[in-house]
Amino acid sequence: MKSSLSSLNLIFLAFLFFSCSSNLDFDQVKDLKLEPAVLANLAYFDIPANKLIDDGGNHVLADVRGFDVFKDKFFTNRLTKAEFDFEIENTIDRAFVVNLLLLNANDEVLETITFNVPAYTGGSNVIKYPTESFENQRLENLKQTINIGFVVFVAAGPPLNDDSTGSLKLKSSATAYLIIG
Amino acid sequence: MRKIYLIFCLIFQLSCFSQNKEILYNFTSIPQSLLVNPGADVSYKYYFGFPVLSGVSANLGSTSFSAYDLFADNGVDFNQKVRNVISKSSANDKVVTNQQLEIFSGGFRVGGRESKSYVSFGLYQEFDFFMFVPKDLALLALNGNKDYIGKSFNLGDLSMKAEVLSVLHFGFHKKVNEKLVYGGRAKIYSSGANASSTKNSGYIYTGESAATPNFYNQVISSNLELRTSGLSKFTKDEYEGNVIRDIANNTFFNGSLGLGIDAGFTYYFKDNLQVTASVVDLGFVRQTKDIETLTYKGTYQYNGVNPDFMGNDDPENVFDEFDKAIPRDTLYNKYTTWRPTKIYSSIQYSFGESRPDNECNCKGQGGDVNYKNAVGAQFFAMSAPRTPLLALTAFYRRNIFRKLDVKATYTLDTFSNKNIGLGLAGTIGPVNLYAMVNNVLEYKDVSKASSAAFQLGVNFVFQDKD
Repeated sequence: MKSSLSSLNLIFLAFLFFSCSSNLDFDQVKDLKLEPAVLANLAYFDIPANKLIDDGGNHVLADVRGFDVFKDKFFTNRLTKAEFDFEIENTIDRAFVVNLLLLNANDEVLETITFNVPAYTGGSNVIKYPTESFENQRLENLKQTINIGFVVFVAAGPPLNDDSTGSLKLKSSATAYLIIG
Repeated sequence: MRKIYLIFCLIFQLSCFSQNKEILYNFTSIPQSLLVNPGADVSYKYYFGFPVLSGVSANLGSTSFSAYDLFADNGVDFNQKVRNVISKSSANDKVVTNQQLEIFSGGFRVGGRESKSYVSFGLYQEFDFFMFVPKDLALLALNGNKDYIGKSFNLGDLSMKAEVLSVLHFGFHKKVNEKLVYGGRAKIYSSGANASSTKNSGYIYTGESAATPNFYNQVISSNLELRTSGLSKFTKDEYEGNVIRDIANNTFFNGSLGLGIDAGFTYYFKDNLQVTASVVDLGFVRQTKDIETLTYKGTYQYNGVNPDFMGNDDPENVFDEFDKAIPRDTLYNKYTTWRPTKIYSSIQYSFGESRPDNECNCKGQGGDVNYKNAVGAQFFAMSAPRTPLLALTAFYRRNIFRKLDVKATYTLDTFSNKNIGLGLAGTIGPVNLYAMVNNVLEYKDVSKASSAAFQLGVNFVFQDKD
């Protein structure tokens, strides 16, 4: 009886003081690398035809807006790639060329992205443009951007007045690929 | 990055372990069982704990993953492991840790030799950590929002609290008659460091919306608050001390103070049928030292750049707008935190009378009769953010030799449905030794255990005959 009890004890002791564990490597935490892809609105406008009153000749609209996201060093230093997507819907019976200008602190043009927009002839006139991808030198240019210029060339065509219908709409988004780690 | 690393280390190394002490509960040959039921049927002439070694316990639990899942040295990319853990976790999964270290403890009988009134006292240090897996935020950090259009990331997933404190306590228990033992314990808490962020809400949403002129409707609605005490000075650039030493110093000598009570009883329906119940750590800490509360409250809708071609100079500044919409505010208000309150209860049936023994009849188990075996069930509940933690335990306790007791437990809780625990308590002369571990089935590879706990300690216990 005694001996069976002491072997029972031994078993208990073995349970208590000998356990196994796989090798764990806590240094792996240093390998932690977050790679979020952040999708955000980039820019939009909606120009109704009755705000573009003209006699049917060429003319140009322009605007410049601040774009200060790259001032944030945490963001900019970890940005490894960016993609811009644009969609333009034209329901005005005139053709347009839309230019998007990336401007640096000295108002120098770093990049010009051009979109040709055909005149509206009925039906759907929504154009999805190919994704603009920014990597390497192009990405470095993008990171210098602090203003975005919008230039809209209105091509010659039927005159526009207060009663003209339709509009020129732009929607765009940016995807920022970050590596944090 | 360094901060993230530190936080990871803190969560997964320092804090390695729920607070249920199912093996210790009602294991009355160990004086420390009075810490989980001040009305436990423990008797002694006097006892004192071996300084710093009388009660060491640590406790780790995670409902959705194990240390192995994250840190296995198996060649799998760490980031992939993090992704796997996050994908199999839900926002209600939790990581819980508790560690206690008795600095000193002791007790003595008051009144004469026939008295059955006892006092006990001591000082112990405790570390508590509780966190829900912040699933949505982890997904957002790992993957971004690109593949989650239409999903609302819940900021309420962020819920955690942590505290380092010392507890000075003084208890009294009395065996009124053969049927009833009751007791209580008063506690003074001294909290060296506290961080609490449990009432968060809000969301980060990106959805396609025909109603807006943009591709996406992007909204951040934030109601975030982090309250800290005893920590803000470490985050200052000019701080040049030793964090561990300073926290230890604050914990014992300069902490935020609080008060609490424990209470409990043991009642014998018959010699061999007993019920017990206790409430432990019903108390609060008034956080007053080095307090800082950070809040991010507000709503921000992001639209991107919007030229109007009208010559209006309306400079848009995303960061300024964001900061204005969801400002970071720092407040310095005192606040009150509640201690995680524990409730225990048990029912025990004893059988197998031990032979009359001339030498010793000192174990106060059910009047004058000693039983070799006891079986029963225990219930445990602990207050926690959102919902309490619950556990049910079945146990068997056996007196092997005169002064060697073994207790085996089977516990069902949120961490595991097959948690087997084993505890041993032996007395050699006045030396009382105990050791307990749970989740022994996982001992073939403890790193894969979803929870693990151990307790051990050494006391010197003197009965009348010693």
